[in-house]
Order: sequence, then C-alpha cells, then structure tokens
Amino acid sequence: MKLMERKLMTPKEILKIENLKTYFDTWAGIVKAVDGVSLEVREGETLGLVGESGSGKSVTALSILRIVPRPGKILDGRIIYRGENLLEKTEDDLQKIRGKEIGYIFQDPATSLNPVFSIADQLTEVIRHHQNVTKKEALEKAIELLKLVEIADPEIKIWNFPHQLSGGMKQRIAVARALSCQPSLLLADEPTTNLDVTIQAQILKLMRSLKEKLGMSMILITHDMGVVAGVADRITVLYAGRVCETADTKTIFYRPRHPYTIALLTAVPSLALRKEKLTVIPGSIPNLIEPPTGCRFHPRCEYAEAACAKKIPPLVEIEHGHYVACIRWSEIDVESPLGAKANE
Amino acid sequence: MKKCEVSIMKRKKSAKLKLPVRNENKRSRGVSQWNIAWRRFRRNKAALVGALIVGFIIFLAAFDALIAPFPPNATPGFYTGEARIPPSLKYLFGTDYIGHDVFSQVVYGARAALFVGFGSAAIAMSLALLVGIISGYYGGFIDNILMRITEVFLVIPFLLILLVFLKVITTIAPSGVGGLSTVMIMIGLFSWASNARIIRGEVLRVKESEFIEASKALGASKRRIMFRHIFPNVLHIIIVLTTLMIATAILVEAAVSFLGFGDPAAITWGQQLQKANEAVKEAWWEGVFPGLFITLLVLGFSLLGNGLRDALDPRLRE
Amino acid sequence: MLRYVIRRIIYLIPLFFGVLIIVFVASRIAGDPVRLMTVMNPRITDAARQNLAAYYGLDKPLYYQFIIFLSQLFQGNLGNAYAIRGGTAVTTLIGDYAWLTFELQLAALFLSLLIAIPIGVISAEKQYSKLDVSMTTTSLVGTCIPIFYMGIIAIIIFSYFLGWFPHGGAHSILPENYPFGSYELDGLWHMVLPTAILTFATLAPVVLLVRSSMLEVLRQDYILAARASGLSERSVVYKHALKNTLIPVVTYVGLYFGAMLAGAPVTETVFNWPGVGRLFVEAVKHLDFPVIMGITVFITIMTLVANLITDITYGYIDPRIRVE
Repeated sequence: MKLMERKLMTPKEILKIENLKTYFDTWAGIVKAVDGVSLEVREGETLGLVGESGSGKSVTALSILRIVPRPGKILDGRIIYRGENLLEKTEDDLQKIRGKEIGYIFQDPATSLNPVFSIADQLTEVIRHHQNVTKKEALEKAIELLKLVEIADPEIKIWNFPHQLSGGMKQRIAVARALSCQPSLLLADEPTTNLDVTIQAQILKLMRSLKEKLGMSMILITHDMGVVAGVADRITVLYAGRVCETADTKTIFYRPRHPYTIALLTAVPSLALRKEKLTVIPGSIPNLIEPPTGCRFHPRCEYAEAACAKKIPPLVEIEHGHYVACIRWSEIDVESPLGAKANE
Repeated sequence: MKKCEVSIMKRKKSAKLKLPVRNENKRSRGVSQWNIAWRRFRRNKAALVGALIVGFIIFLAAFDALIAPFPPNATPGFYTGEARIPPSLKYLFGTDYIGHDVFSQVVYGARAALFVGFGSAAIAMSLALLVGIISGYYGGFIDNILMRITEVFLVIPFLLILLVFLKVITTIAPSGVGGLSTVMIMIGLFSWASNARIIRGEVLRVKESEFIEASKALGASKRRIMFRHIFPNVLHIIIVLTTLMIATAILVEAAVSFLGFGDPAAITWGQQLQKANEAVKEAWWEGVFPGLFITLLVLGFSLLGNGLRDALDPRLRE
Repeated sequence: MLRYVIRRIIYLIPLFFGVLIIVFVASRIAGDPVRLMTVMNPRITDAARQNLAAYYGLDKPLYYQFIIFLSQLFQGNLGNAYAIRGGTAVTTLIGDYAWLTFELQLAALFLSLLIAIPIGVISAEKQYSKLDVSMTTTSLVGTCIPIFYMGIIAIIIFSYFLGWFPHGGAHSILPENYPFGSYELDGLWHMVLPTAILTFATLAPVVLLVRSSMLEVLRQDYILAARASGLSERSVVYKHALKNTLIPVVTYVGLYFGAMLAGAPVTETVFNWPGVGRLFVEAVKHLDFPVIMGITVFITIMTLVANLITDITYGYIDPRIRVE
C-alpha cells in the first residue's frame, strides 16, 4: 500500500481510491462487501474492474458516488477525485458531481429507467438540473444525445416510455443519460450483462467509440474477461472485497501472477485452447459476514499454504504498474493459460 | 482524514444468528423454506404479539365456562338491584341494563367470534381457491368467465346485500334455524371475490416461472404440475390471506350484529354493542369492553397475518 | 387515452347488468315478496294476496318482472316504497338523502388522502424512526377498530363527557341550539364527529399502503439512478418515487370507495345521520323491496363510477396501462 502512495500522484490521475471499506449492517450480521480496496484511474484510460458476483465491484462504484443504499455505510478510506476527497464533501457538493462530473450506467436497463416518465422527461431533467438551459434547448440536447448513441428516429423515440423500447435501446438511453452533461469519468456497472450477445457487442463498440470521441475516463465493471479484453487499458481484479491484482491488460492476460486471476483466465472457455472439460474454480464465494482469515482466496487456492491464512497479503508492486496481493507470487508459474498466444 | 463512524457495530443481534451457509462443511444442515420462514417469524415481535393475542382468545373460548364467574346470559344483577352499575370487584366490567355481568358475557362472546371468523374464512377461502386456481391455471375462456363473475361479486355492495339476505332468511325460516351459522355462511359466500383474484395472480406468476417450463420439458402431466408445483407455491399466500380473512369476517359479523341483523340468541360482541348503543350515555362500560375485545382479536389476527406474510414471502431478501 | 376511457366504459356496462341481475334474482328468490310483506299480517286472505301480487306485477314470470324493472329503471322510475315513508317514490327518497351521505363520504375521503399520503411518505423516508413506528402502529390498530366502536367511543368522550359536539343527527332539532344562530355552522358542527371518525378509519389503511408502496419503490434501481444523476433528494422522492408509489394507492382507493359507500349504513346508524345508509337499514327491517332495490342500484352505479374514475386516473399515471 505504501509503495503505491509513494510512486503515484501522477498528475494524470483522475480518480484514486485508497483503502476503501464499505460494510452493510444487516439482520444476519455485518457484510464486509468492500474491505480495503485501492485502485486508480488515469485520465483518458479505461480501467476494467473484474470479479465474480459478490466481489464488491458494484459497491465500490456506488461508494465513489456515495449512493450506497441502506444498510450500507462507508467506514474508512479515501476517494480522491481530481485532488479532492469525495468522502469529505457535503451532500450539496456531491449532487453537483453526480451526473455532471461522474456518470453512472446501471446493469439492468429494464429497471434503471423510471417506467412512468418519458425518455424526454428523464433526459431533459438531468440536463436542466446541471446546466442552465431552457426546456427547448434541453430537448434539443437530448435529441443530440440520442443521435450520439445511435438511436434511429430520435425525435420520435424520445417521447416513448421505457416499456415501449427494446433492451438494447434502453441501455443506449442509459448511456445517453450518463453522458448527458459530459462527465469526465464514467462508471459502467456491467452494462452489457443483461443483454443479448449481439447487442452486447454493439453496446461495447458504442462505448469504445464514445470514449475516444469524448476523451472520457471509464471504470468498466464486469465479471466477463472477454469484455475487458477488448475495451480496458488496465485491469483490477477483485475478490471478496479485496484487490488481488492490478496491471495493464496485456500483463493480466499474458503474465498473471495472482492465483485467482489465473483461475479466472483458465475458466474462460476459449476455442483456441480446446479443452475437453470446462475448468471450474473449486469451492464457492466466501461468506462476507465471516470471511476466511488472511487471504480471502486461500480456501480455494491451489497454491495456498499455512501462512496464507494468517496474514492479509499486502498489495505489492512487483514491476512498474503491476501490483499483486499474494505472498507466493514469485513462485507462481509464469506461463499464461492462454499458452502460445503469450507473445502476440 | 475523517473516519466514518463505526457505530453500526453495536447492533445487538448480529453475532447470534447462525446463517445456514456458515462455512462449507456445515452446508448439509436443512434449510427448507419452512425453516427459514419459522426463523423469520420468530424474530418478528409484532407477529409474536399477534399470535399471543389469538392464543389468549382461544384460551378464553375453550375455558369460558371456567373463567366466567356467571353462567351465560345469567342476570345476577337483576334481582339484587345491581343492574347497570359500573365496574367493580364483583362485576369486573360492570353490569348492563338488565343485570348481565358484562365480563362473563364478553368471555362467552369469544367462542362466537372465533366460530364466525374461522367458519367464514374457510368458506370464502375455499371458493377463492377454487376459482383462483382453475382460472389461473386453465386460462382462456374459463378464465374469462370466472373473472367476469368475480368482478360482479366485487362490485356488489357487500354489506347491503348481506343485510338483505340475513333479514329475509331470518324472517322466513322458522326461528332458531342456524342463526349464527347463517351469518357465518353468508359472510363466507360473499367474501371470496377479492382473494380469488389475488390467488389467480399468484398462480399466473408461478405458471410463468421457468421451473414450470422445465417440469413440462421433463414430461410431467398437467395435473401433476398443478398439484406438485403450483399448489405449494401458492400455499404461502393462502395462509396469509386466510388469517387476514378471519380478521375481516369478525369485523363484518360485529357490524351486522350491531345493526340488529345478527342472531339475537347468540352471545356475540357485536350483539352486546347493539344493546349498548342505546345506553351509551349512562353506561359506557356496556359498550367499551366488548368493543375492546373485538379490536383486540382483529388486531391479533392482523398482526399474525402480516407477520406470516413477511416470514413467508419468497422474494424478501435478508 | 380517450380510446382507453371508452374501452373502460364499455367494459363496465355488462358488469352493471350482471349486478342488477344478481341483486334482482336474489331479492326475488329470497322469498316470495308478497308473503314477506304480509308476514306481519296473519289475517290476510289469499285473494288479497293475489291482488297485491297483481298490483305489484309479482305474479308474472321472473324474466318478465326483470324486464319491467329494467324499463322502469331507464325511465328513472324506481317504484314507490311499500312500507316506509308513506309510499313516496323511491327516487325522491334517494334524492332527499343521498347528498347527506355523499357529504360525509367525500369529505372523509378527501381529508384522509390529504393526511395519509404525506404521513405515509414521511414514514417511509424515515423508516424505523420514532415517527414511523408510532404512525405505523396507530394506523395498524386503526384498521382493526370497528367503525361503530370508534364512533361510540368518540361519542362517549367528546359528546357526553366533554360536551364539545352533538352526539348525532345532521342538525339540531331546535334552532335555538344553532351555534351563533347559523344553520350552516350547525350543520358543520354536527358533521365534525362523524367525519373525523370516518376519516380516521379511511386513512389508517392508506397510510400503511403508501408507506409500504414507497418503501418498495425506493428500493428500485431507477431511484438509485436518479440519485446517481445528481438530482436532489427532494426531487428523487417527490417526483420520481411518488408517482410510482401512488399507482397501487389509486387502485386501492378506487376499490375502497365502493366499500366505504357500502359501509354507510353502519356509520350513519351510530351517529343517527340521515343518509341513504340509515334509510337502507330501515328499509331492510321492513322488507321494503323497492327502496332496497333502489338504493342498491344507486350505490352500485356510484361504485361503478368510482371504478371508472379510478381506471382513468390509473391510466393517466401509469403509461404502461394505456397500451394494451
């Protein structure tokens, strides 16, 4: 952790999260959803935030905007956006940042749009909240946005209600809403998971082109390694509320060092590898109320040893820009599961 | 650096509850739906209070002869000039205009309340189940017809028709026929409609869910699907609706008796309120106590019903 | 939207006839009306009975009677009372008493919505707070207290014990008793207690419904999305959440209004309020069929109108319904 602090502070950083802890106080106990997560996003780059369900990815993103639903509470850490700690800001200040500086795209387009208001209403509302424009101007801007996300006949479609549109279109509108005030940072929470595969590809292509056009930074949250491969510049792998490994995309895919990262890569069915059986990571997601001691992955890890259960492995920078939280990283087999493609 | 408070750690219950999947080795312990529901129910204080109240009234009804100091409809105050006196040690709730001990009468009224409550609910729910399941499951033409009929019953002014029927039956039938049973049956016959709609909704919801598709794909017959899959899933809502229906039935019987259309021979709290209405100015105790018990019993079943609903709802996340 | 409204109206017509048929058949099957009418009179001869039957058209087959009934209905003729009020036309009777019933019911409905919705919303916003717990408990208990009991208690406390309000009726019998000598004020003075009770009874379930509906809505993704867009909390709750919250409430109120009307006999009896409810009770006690049928038809029509208004409002709030 200290290594990160010393080396960083690159002026190009737009967001830095330090040791974030967000817990949920439920009837069954305290769920430690995010338990010491640190990451950073540089200007103009896309950070892929990868992990299984329950790894804390969404909660991290919600914590950035401080809209974690009850009974969640942010207990520790710093979230530094453009040099200021968001956790110290007032609600009024935050409302100026949400939607304007930082945009958010939700996972399920069917539920993230209000069913009783038209698209026009929902888009212009956000625009007029953050910008001082007339109703007419806001409407024009909204139609421009729909064109930007490649929706046909925007002047007509804008008056539709969410239930009249397909899943793909709804998600495009969600993207439009997130981008409506030209945010510098976009948080995309599994934007393609609930869509058909073909639509997925379209939306990803759209997001890539928008990112280039508008020069935004983005955190793309997903559990799908295939999705990040094409879009992300750097990847942070999360497991059970903690960071396992952070590096640029190529390094993660071809020179992974954390057993969990390797397991994730191995589990991806790939035509190139032609395995007969699907590899499965043994065991299941840990209980976040009583998580395993020390390294949270150790019960399922094939490299685990006694020391792994005793101490939380620190996030160590093993080479420039490549951080791993595993005490045995140096012993781990370097050859990537992707085999022969390592040098492409 | 400002640390957010860790005050949430002070929650009392967190450590004590055991989660089923505590760690992988203990996963084999049974976590059936009923287990979870029972646990949730136990935690719900309001539901427990409801159960306690209902239990208490049932106890009163079961042992009414032992608890009440005087026999049913006895008028101990009449001869000793103690009619219409306020509550005292001898007459806990006072006496009414003719010398009945209000306390005894109230205790005896418990039985009638429970009788009408359970009876009406049984009839209404049976009809609702029949209509709801058939309508929901078969759909199409049958569904249409049944739903139209249901809507007609929903639009009919319930209380008005009830009063008419009761009056007519008590007039033409030789005295003593049924009496309270008639009231009970009538209430049941007119209360099934809204629950039928709800049940039908649940059946439809279950029908569309994917595991029914899976079951069909495996070749199960229609009837088998209906009983083994749909029915258990609708069961939870049936339990809740029945409990709430009992509460409603008790209120209706009270209203009907209060208006004077109940069975004059039966001892019910509604009847007592009817007589008390004329005496409200001089003898508040005549009306206050029976009414209190009606409220109490209805509250008991309401709390119980709501508690059951919270405990049994499969969609409620922990 | 207009198409939707017309569709709903067309839909309600067969419903209306269905109800008419059931009520009509029920009231005839329930027993030979002539016998019922004359059951108090043991000396009546068969010939006299037959005359009565012929006079009221009761000796014709059932469907024929029904057709006559319908045709008269459409001419606005509901017949005359048999046994009460000296045989006045039913329509006149209803006309005289209906307004008083409506006065009470509508005032109570309006007030209860005015009070219940804000309370429900605030309770949901501040879930588990002292305010929430007390409001919810009070409302829950309120749904369990029989209206007539509430009325009796209110009369005991506010009328007999404190002497603030009259214990019944719509107006004082003696003009000397009018407050400040005003007839209108006297009417209002008499309205306070019954309206207050009816309002409380109506708002209790609505508070609970608004609260639970709001809680459900606040859990939805689109509310989180609204927050993520930077909208103020007030906007999120009162614009985005409220509209969705009111959808089940509208449905409920629509259904409930019919129940409220049907419950008029009870409230009006407790407070001796001269409305159609009290009239109905009297009519049933005397088995006066024209009046019974007349009031039933009247209340059914009102219920259907309420349903229609509910459907229209519902279609206005929830766009998903309009496209069926």
